[in-house]
Amino acid sequence: MRIFAGQRAFVLQRISALVLLACGTAIALRLAIGPQVTFAQWRTWVAQPLAASVLLLVAGALFIHAWVGIRDVVLDYVRPLALRLTVMTILAAGLSVLAAWTGFIVVTHAL
Amino acid sequence: MRFKIYRFDPDRHTKPEWQDYELRLEASDRMVLDALERLRAQDDSIAFRRSCREGVCGSDAMNINGRNALACITRLAGLSEPVTLAPLPSFPVIRDLIVDMTQFFAHYHAIKPYVMNDEPPPERERLQSPEERERLNGLYECILCACCTSFCPPSWWHPGKFLGPAALLQAQRFIVDSRDRGASQRLEFLDDVYKLYRCRTIMNCAEVCPKGLNPAQAIERIKIELLRRSA
Repeated sequence: MRIFAGQRAFVLQRISALVLLACGTAIALRLAIGPQVTFAQWRTWVAQPLAASVLLLVAGALFIHAWVGIRDVVLDYVRPLALRLTVMTILAAGLSVLAAWTGFIVVTHAL
Repeated sequence: MRFKIYRFDPDRHTKPEWQDYELRLEASDRMVLDALERLRAQDDSIAFRRSCREGVCGSDAMNINGRNALACITRLAGLSEPVTLAPLPSFPVIRDLIVDMTQFFAHYHAIKPYVMNDEPPPERERLQSPEERERLNGLYECILCACCTSFCPPSWWHPGKFLGPAALLQAQRFIVDSRDRGASQRLEFLDDVYKLYRCRTIMNCAEVCPKGLNPAQAIERIKIELLRRSA
């Protein structure tokens, strides 16, 4: 597998952007138009399997989008190879931990 | 008219310097190249490339008042003074306004800028329909002056890896050529995070192209073609 494959990152960035755009718009509209959401209501909503799935999808899209975007910035601006690899390793590890934590919270709450 | 010219002679200077010139223009002096020729008559040590003097050869590409352009088709009227003339940004300077184009042409050669077709040649020539020929418009006109590549930030960041707008525009020119059979090979070569995907669509290339071409659009079309073929 080519870690730095060109098209894969390009496609993932755009698909994840579409997911984030759709969900971001839906959330913004809901907050702007609908009644106020309490924390208890929010927890109840997240506990539903469909809502949890949507939330996981959004979180996945967010982490993928963040990875490709920050990876591009690192590729462009961090020139020494050793430093670049270090930064990207930290970035990948950080995003992986955050993704796992997000998944854990959502799944355990929904179960 | 006042000019400020970038001067660097590796035999005499350790660092580049700016030199000021004052020139009385004649009625026939319309373009920056006319002024440069007259300045060289005053000071024959000024080095710059030129050839066709009508925007066809691309030899006299340089940075004029902070913007890449061809000296032969850039009007003196309207330029703010002093008119600063510098070599193409990011390219190694050989002397004064002359830059080393080796890397630029290496990228150009890498995209195989010729029709690849192993089929037996027809008796006379490989014909194209008017529609097939139409697809080359906006691509074939590139004169390889390097105004775009030299003004492209990703090319500054990855000069040896990102092919740059000029080479990628030329790649698209052959990908869409109906006589070419190497599109798959070309696209496979280009599907790389550095060669193609470093383009951030900053659009400097389209902004400074003296022929009015849009390399950024050509790059997007290569990406779309890659996507279409992999779907």
